[in-house]
Amino acid sequence: MRQQLTFVIGIVALSVAGILYTFVSGNEPLLGLDLQGGASVVLEPEPLPDGQEITDESLDQAVDIIRNRVDGLGVREPEVTRQGQTILVQIPGVDDQQRAIDLVGQTAELRFRPVLEFGTSLDLTPDATVDEESVLQLRNDPSPSGRLRMGPVPLVVDQENEPGQHLTGVAVESAAARLTPSGGWAVNPVFKSGSPGIDDFNALALQCFNLQPTCPTGRIAIEIDGYVESAPNVQAPAFERDVIQITGQFSTDEAKDLALALNFGALPLELTPQESRIVSSTLGEDALDAGVFAGLVGVVLVSIYLIAYYRWLGVIAILSLLISGALLWTAVAWLGESQGLALTLAGVTGLIVSIGVSVDSNVVYFEHLKEDVRNGRTVRSAVERAFPIAYSTIVKADVASLIAAVVLYWLTVGQVRGFALFLGLATVLDLIATYFFMGPAIRLMAARGFGDRPRSLGIPDPTGRDEAMDASNAATEPEALATGGAS
Amino acid sequence: MISFFRMMYRGEHHFDFPALWRKALIISGLLVVVSVGALVVRGLNLGIEFEGGTSWEVTVTDLTIADVRDELAGTGAESGKIQTLGTDAIRVRADLDVADDVAEVTARLASLAGVDVTEVSVTTVGPSWGDQITDKARNALIWFFIIVAGYIAIRLEWKMAVGALIAVAHDIVISVGLYAVFQFEVTPATVIAFLTIMGYSLYDTIVVYDKVRDVGGRLTVTGRYTYSEMMNLSLNQVLMRSINTSITSVLPVVSMLVIGSLFLGALTLREFAIALLIGILVGTYSSIFVAASVVAYMKEREAENRATAAKVQARSGDTGTRRVSDEDVTLAGIPAARTRQPTTSSRERSAGGGSQRPARGQAAQRSAAAKRTASSARPGQPPKPRKKKKS
Repeated sequence: MRQQLTFVIGIVALSVAGILYTFVSGNEPLLGLDLQGGASVVLEPEPLPDGQEITDESLDQAVDIIRNRVDGLGVREPEVTRQGQTILVQIPGVDDQQRAIDLVGQTAELRFRPVLEFGTSLDLTPDATVDEESVLQLRNDPSPSGRLRMGPVPLVVDQENEPGQHLTGVAVESAAARLTPSGGWAVNPVFKSGSPGIDDFNALALQCFNLQPTCPTGRIAIEIDGYVESAPNVQAPAFERDVIQITGQFSTDEAKDLALALNFGALPLELTPQESRIVSSTLGEDALDAGVFAGLVGVVLVSIYLIAYYRWLGVIAILSLLISGALLWTAVAWLGESQGLALTLAGVTGLIVSIGVSVDSNVVYFEHLKEDVRNGRTVRSAVERAFPIAYSTIVKADVASLIAAVVLYWLTVGQVRGFALFLGLATVLDLIATYFFMGPAIRLMAARGFGDRPRSLGIPDPTGRDEAMDASNAATEPEALATGGAS
Repeated sequence: MISFFRMMYRGEHHFDFPALWRKALIISGLLVVVSVGALVVRGLNLGIEFEGGTSWEVTVTDLTIADVRDELAGTGAESGKIQTLGTDAIRVRADLDVADDVAEVTARLASLAGVDVTEVSVTTVGPSWGDQITDKARNALIWFFIIVAGYIAIRLEWKMAVGALIAVAHDIVISVGLYAVFQFEVTPATVIAFLTIMGYSLYDTIVVYDKVRDVGGRLTVTGRYTYSEMMNLSLNQVLMRSINTSITSVLPVVSMLVIGSLFLGALTLREFAIALLIGILVGTYSSIFVAASVVAYMKEREAENRATAAKVQARSGDTGTRRVSDEDVTLAGIPAARTRQPTTSSRERSAGGGSQRPARGQAAQRSAAAKRTASSARPGQPPKPRKKKKS
């Protein structure tokens, strides 16, 4: 009996402590985009041209680059995670969703190219400068007009130049925007040593410095996805890898954008958006409200049913539900805060369904009790005998649910995964609440006098059985009947 | 009706499940045939998540589908599927996935609804993505079935693993079939709901099987019951558990369904709820009527059980009726299920039960009667515990 009391007090204290901890530490469940609004995109790498396998390193690198890029946008709490061979980008909130999706979805290949012509010698009207689509069409055209690039001013670049072939973002180690002593902004790129790196850059710089035919303008274009961010004039035949400065009439933002582009412009992989989703915050909040409200109403309905049918046993079942609920809230809030695991609508549904399964653990035990009492046992002895049998059933069934949760978690992606996590969590907490709270609490109740009044436990009184059976008239039915009818 | 509830509440009901199984076989067979037929003939109405394309959702009032279609003329989305969701939201689905085209439709819908573009929910899915998701889900399912079958075979027995898997397959086929019949849209939410149904059905089946094992372990040694009779007794005992559990599981789902219809954005919730409601009901039904009957069918064909059945038949002389009476059960130390004679009192019945089967041990009958008398002889007074309480 002492052990039972310890269990009950222990688990109640743990739940209260959990709730207090959650409250004090300010943990809150992290809401998925479908509940708070926001944008998400699933990116998948295109197969490499030479049939090579896509390595984990390159994927991780891509994740880092995208994360930096999204962080650079200034959105709050972006999530960039790898899921198997795909990358999931989630951007909560409502500002600039489309821009963010566009940005992360871009291959954004960074290239340095010699500039062949500067300005609009190709008979472009000023309007044409905004027609990016035709430029994109021209991009891979081998004719000189095909090398047109848009930028602050349209210009023509060379695609075939040998050193330029290696000068992609891979050659850049880092870049930073700095204020110059004269008060303007400059960008300092640092190249990697060797090749690809500073050697290729210097080879190109030498051609441009000498105004050779391959680089008649003396300028190098810094191009991201066919858009020239900047085309600085080369002022030296060779550079040290870490003392290069790009100056110009940069505004603060332009300088920072250029540095960002140099830093994170090139992805090691070409990524294609496979699924992009923008959830308006109105719809998201509606879904959350409805989910929470439906859950609460569900709990209330279940509580009414349990009390009507099982009386005091029902009260214990509800308390047991509250305890697993409190522990679940603590876990969900902690996971959200520290692990970045978001509660999605699928997760909420999993939790609502788990109400039924948690209650079942109680029902299995209660029905065993009733069965034993009907068979002539006292409530007290039935309480002792039935629990191990019922618990063994509950464990068998819950383990099957756990297997489902684990398999789904490992083998699927996205929403299904979130659902599996919360299903598994709820199942484990159900086992804990049943073993440490529901079972001991009912044994304590049976010992404290409830055992003598089976009807208060929703158990038909075996001693009154024959009288009740003889009464065929509904009006004379005992208390127990009214319960059955009302349910 | 009232006395029916009282009978159920007191656990004094006695249904003849093996007879019901035959009816259930017809119902299940019909449902499965209709489901498979609908799947073959009509197919599933797959959402964009599986087929690729874009879907838009926006809150808007007083608009007809024709208005929306007119507004979208020339964008490529006008030929898409346009639905109203409740009274104040619309959903457009089209086979577009180029960013600019999608943005154009978004802008037009926003201006039509008079809201900012950020108020339009947009989902774009690449054409091959759905295949990958489907492949992953299929792999997960296959592994799940293998592991769970192994688990049930170890914890219970392999015939129960077969029964459980047949029951789960039955539930999934019928649930998916309903989606094919009514052409509800299959979304990732639906897939999750189907997975939940699978888990629930399995859970419920294991609870039922465990009861069968519990009762069977004690009854089989008496050698007096055929497997089906034993199963029948177990099912009667577990029936109230199944009913109560499905009620407590269905209540939150119904609340999801009703409340989901009150909130505009809760479309996914509603989609979940429909699939879950179907699944929970079918899952509870299949545990008792499909999973149990499959195991009984296989078990009855075991040599040992056939021998028992032959003995039982020889002893009682009639196999047509299910005989589960009090004294044997009490003798075996497990709770009683009563024969269906609602007008006679329990004491009369126990006497009648004895006369029906004269071959039964007289001593056992006496001791059972003695026990019952002992417990009812001291009304209001707590009977002494038989076992020492653990402390």
